[in-house]
Amino acid sequence: MLPTEVYPGSEPSRWKYLDRIRTRPGPFTNPDAFDGSLVAEAIENMTVLTVVELTSHSGAGGLGCEILKNLALSGFKSIHVIDMDTIDISNLNRQFLFREEDVGSYKAEVAARFVEKRVKGVKITPHNKMIQDFGEDFYMQFQVIVCGLDSIEARRWINATLVNMVDEDVSDSYKPLVDGGTEGFKGQARVIFPTVTSCIECQLDMHAPRAAVPLCTIASIPRQPEHCIEWAHVIAWDQETPFPALDKDDPEHITWLYKKALLRAQEFNIPGVTYSLTQGVVKNIIPAIAATNSVIAAACCNEAVKIGTSAAPMLGYPDENYMMYSGNDSIYTYTFKHEKKDDCPVCGNLARELQVDPDWTLRELVESFATRPEAQLKKPSLRGEGKTLYMQSPASLEEQTRPNLDKTLVELGLAEGDEIGVTDPAFATVMFKFKLKFRISE
Amino acid sequence: MTEIVMSQTPPILHGPSAKEKKYDRQLRLWAASGQAALESANLLLVNSGPGVAGVETLKNLILPGVGHFAIYDEAVVEDADLGVNFFLDESCLGKPRSQCLTALLTELNPDVHGSWYPNEETASTLEYLLATSPVFTAIMYSFPIAPERLALLEAYGREHKTPLVAMHSAGFYSYFRISLPGAFPIVDTHPDETATTDLRLLTPWPELVEFAGNMTKDIDSLDAYEHGHLPYVVILLYYLEQWKQAHEGKYPSTYKEKTEFRRLVQGAARTDNPEGGEENFDEAAAAVLKTVVPPSLPSGLREVFEYTPSEPIEERSSFWIVADAIKAFHAKHNSLPLRGNVPDMKAKSSVYIQLQNIYKTKARQDAAEVLETAQSIAPGRQFDPAEVELFCKNAPFVKLINATKGGDSASSSSVDLLREVTAQELANDENAELTMMPLSLLPIYLALRATSHVDSATADEILASIEETIPGSKDKERILKAAQEVARAEGGELHNIAALTGGMVAQEMIKIITKQYIPIDNTCIFDGIASRSQVLCL
Amino acid sequence: MLKIWSMKKEQQKAENAEGAAGGKKKVTAAQLRVQKDLSELSLGSTMRTEFPDQDNILSFILYVEPDEGMYRGGRFSFNFNITANFPHEPPKVQCREKIYHPNIDLEGKVCLNILREDWKPVLNLNAVIVGIQFLFLEPNASDPLNKDAAEDLRLNRESFKRNVRVAMGGGSVRGVLFDKTLK
Repeated sequence: MLPTEVYPGSEPSRWKYLDRIRTRPGPFTNPDAFDGSLVAEAIENMTVLTVVELTSHSGAGGLGCEILKNLALSGFKSIHVIDMDTIDISNLNRQFLFREEDVGSYKAEVAARFVEKRVKGVKITPHNKMIQDFGEDFYMQFQVIVCGLDSIEARRWINATLVNMVDEDVSDSYKPLVDGGTEGFKGQARVIFPTVTSCIECQLDMHAPRAAVPLCTIASIPRQPEHCIEWAHVIAWDQETPFPALDKDDPEHITWLYKKALLRAQEFNIPGVTYSLTQGVVKNIIPAIAATNSVIAAACCNEAVKIGTSAAPMLGYPDENYMMYSGNDSIYTYTFKHEKKDDCPVCGNLARELQVDPDWTLRELVESFATRPEAQLKKPSLRGEGKTLYMQSPASLEEQTRPNLDKTLVELGLAEGDEIGVTDPAFATVMFKFKLKFRISE
Repeated sequence: MTEIVMSQTPPILHGPSAKEKKYDRQLRLWAASGQAALESANLLLVNSGPGVAGVETLKNLILPGVGHFAIYDEAVVEDADLGVNFFLDESCLGKPRSQCLTALLTELNPDVHGSWYPNEETASTLEYLLATSPVFTAIMYSFPIAPERLALLEAYGREHKTPLVAMHSAGFYSYFRISLPGAFPIVDTHPDETATTDLRLLTPWPELVEFAGNMTKDIDSLDAYEHGHLPYVVILLYYLEQWKQAHEGKYPSTYKEKTEFRRLVQGAARTDNPEGGEENFDEAAAAVLKTVVPPSLPSGLREVFEYTPSEPIEERSSFWIVADAIKAFHAKHNSLPLRGNVPDMKAKSSVYIQLQNIYKTKARQDAAEVLETAQSIAPGRQFDPAEVELFCKNAPFVKLINATKGGDSASSSSVDLLREVTAQELANDENAELTMMPLSLLPIYLALRATSHVDSATADEILASIEETIPGSKDKERILKAAQEVARAEGGELHNIAALTGGMVAQEMIKIITKQYIPIDNTCIFDGIASRSQVLCL
Repeated sequence: MLKIWSMKKEQQKAENAEGAAGGKKKVTAAQLRVQKDLSELSLGSTMRTEFPDQDNILSFILYVEPDEGMYRGGRFSFNFNITANFPHEPPKVQCREKIYHPNIDLEGKVCLNILREDWKPVLNLNAVIVGIQFLFLEPNASDPLNKDAAEDLRLNRESFKRNVRVAMGGGSVRGVLFDKTLK
């Protein structure tokens, strides 16, 4: 039978229910990975990052409040939250840490203050910034990262950053990423162990691209109210520029687009243009409700708890890593293993080490690729981040970068540990990444 | 050519109201009608145990603006509550839990009213509350619950036709079960837009035939622009007619004939242009298999047609009268009322709008006929034409939930059903690997159900209780493990599992209150270890 | 706890780089993909590129000088702007001159299916450039962005040709003054 000993943490009566589960194994707990006597202390020493940065008010947000509440009530004591957004009135139907008087304040700050006040002993550090404002040093301090992002771009950025941070010899450099997203009654929760399991880039096909209408349809043969709105948005706005720049959150701007769209719809006898539809099309609004956020954020934080305590097997290793949830027609979940892609441009293409002499000229480096056993590249093009070293094509860029060939690597500003990307048209599917390692020539 | 009358009153040029702004993201899901239903709902939560799943459910209903909620909870706030329940804080210790929860929950939305019980002033017992309150729209309760109290709620549900939702969350496991008062039909099921295309290409009516005929009578002499902008509906109607003439008056019906017809359509595209083809003909060819179909009667609607409500006609809801009218329509025309939507397709604006109007006009005529029939079935009754129109539009997607009723939790028929389902699920599990199906979550339900009326139990006690209901289960490995996992929690909730369950229950409450989307039928089990759910009818 | 890391070591082949992480310049997926696309570019004699900043390959100009068709003898240029979300999102392409063309409007917007509704991440910059070249060889009257030009082409090809030449010379067509694009 099961061992029944509970190892209480610092406040036994408060965390009574949690301690029963997190400090003693159940029938599914992996005994080799679990030590109940260490859990309470370990989880209190973990720092969790919540990333809920919103690039727009498109509506998919709202997981953040749930995630913070759930993490605080899961025994985590140190939580950081990144969110550059401010509170909008349309957030109040699901983002329960905000009140009407908070509209206009930073979400991260208001949320952190609220949860700290409600759940004693938890420390939440808010960052009113973008995720891209932070470097690896910052992300290194966390043990788990929970994301409730509303843009694919932000997800890809954090994913690539975490994959790139992995250093096989430093176990601290692996940062499990738990990601959730919702749309209406549907959502998904997934766990990524960077470089070990399928990453967000591998799973990009799970995000259906936004359906686009041909520009010529919008310009000359509109048939749907959406076509009229797109016309106002894409064509009429550019022709007339009624305001210096389109602010999709400014009701005056939306009203301008709405009126334009309505006139166009009347011209073509197309019914159905409304203010709400205009706003929805222009901002690409995704419907969102508290109930679905509750499901998805909890599924994510449940995984964070399992990662932190090993009290039960976590999603993501080694098998199922992705839960799809749909509540439109009954309730349906599909939990499956999304396979890692060997040719994933992020996790399938990790930088290899490249021994180079810093005093080599770029020409010597380029030529060295012809003889490297794994590459044997005849016409390699080389770039560093933000620095074009030498491109064989197109012709103008070749001409511009040719002078670099005679400079040494040091003169070109390359440093130990920098990555370079190498491509060659002969290898249509291969893009190499190398990490420079300097050796001094004898 | 069809005369097109556009009765488009320009909408008033004002922005959204403050309420529309606040609820914008949900109005896009259930519209003003759903919101109105939500705002007039009056819910009761009868809470016990840690009771977090119920509180999380309320949070998810208060935020979108449910009208009124009441909490009946006899517990006094203790320290353990603060480690699992977000809507309590230090200042609540020692106070009635229902009072503190109500205070912190109503903060979430000033539009929502809440009340708490037992309290000295209005109601000190559940019996009194149920007897004196305005009728509840739905009642939620959490396990463990005393059997007498459960019987009281079930009696109330029967008497007032009030849906009951039971929920049980312990450790990594949870389930909830919905008991609806009789058959529950839903018209506004929100089918996937792509599934709703119904173009009646094999049974075109005169106006449509005339429209298509006019556009295609000189099809070969049309200039490149006109030919390249024939809507695919018109293209298909033209070539179906050609096919019919070459095939003894028959339309393509088998898969082989349809693929042959598709080749005919694709082959008719002009290729002597820079693009080497025509987009509208591509669209037409791609639409053949989906749209060249005879009218059919979907199983969901057939179930509605075949179901006879127990009440006499005069007492039936308008749903059943309109359903009868649609059944009569179907018997007469061998097809359902037309939905009337035309998917977007390459076409000149004016042509598309004319085509759209031909379909809309027919849909309105069909709905008018159904309305007339409904009035003849139930003379003297008033029907809302908008409601009839919606029913006609959604007829193929109408869904009937809870048509076969399980019964109350303790009734012998419900135990028989449970035994039957258990045998079935365990048999399925033996083939799970072969059929690539995940293992049944029923053991979780059985283990939780064994603690329905007790605060906690050991694995052995749980197994013994299951064995009593389902003989032979104590030797099953998975039931044993589920029992151990439930015992591990000792009736305690994990906040995440409670929040997740509260999210699922709130979704279901919204579906039931708004009568939109499709609720579960009738039990949903969640396994927080595998992160998986399963819905079973128990 | 966190035993996964040791599992990982057992499981995975050593293919990762050594050295402490942090602070070093990493190559992003979008940049690497653009680099690959550029090194595969085949421009032929009628097209060339110009990079205002050689270190920023996400932004460049494409020059097209058709040697046949109605736009022969002209020089047209397009701004290419690629976001960090490439290739999930298509490149943004805009014509820098005001030209008379049924598929390019007066603001420089280009109606090309693969720049919008038919874009897929497997497509590359070469496909876009071939598409743009094609627009000058075979302007398409049936999917117009500039309706007047399309109608002109549809109804009277000779008149359209004449108007193209006038516009390319910097003249005005139907009251609209065009940029001189003749070399």
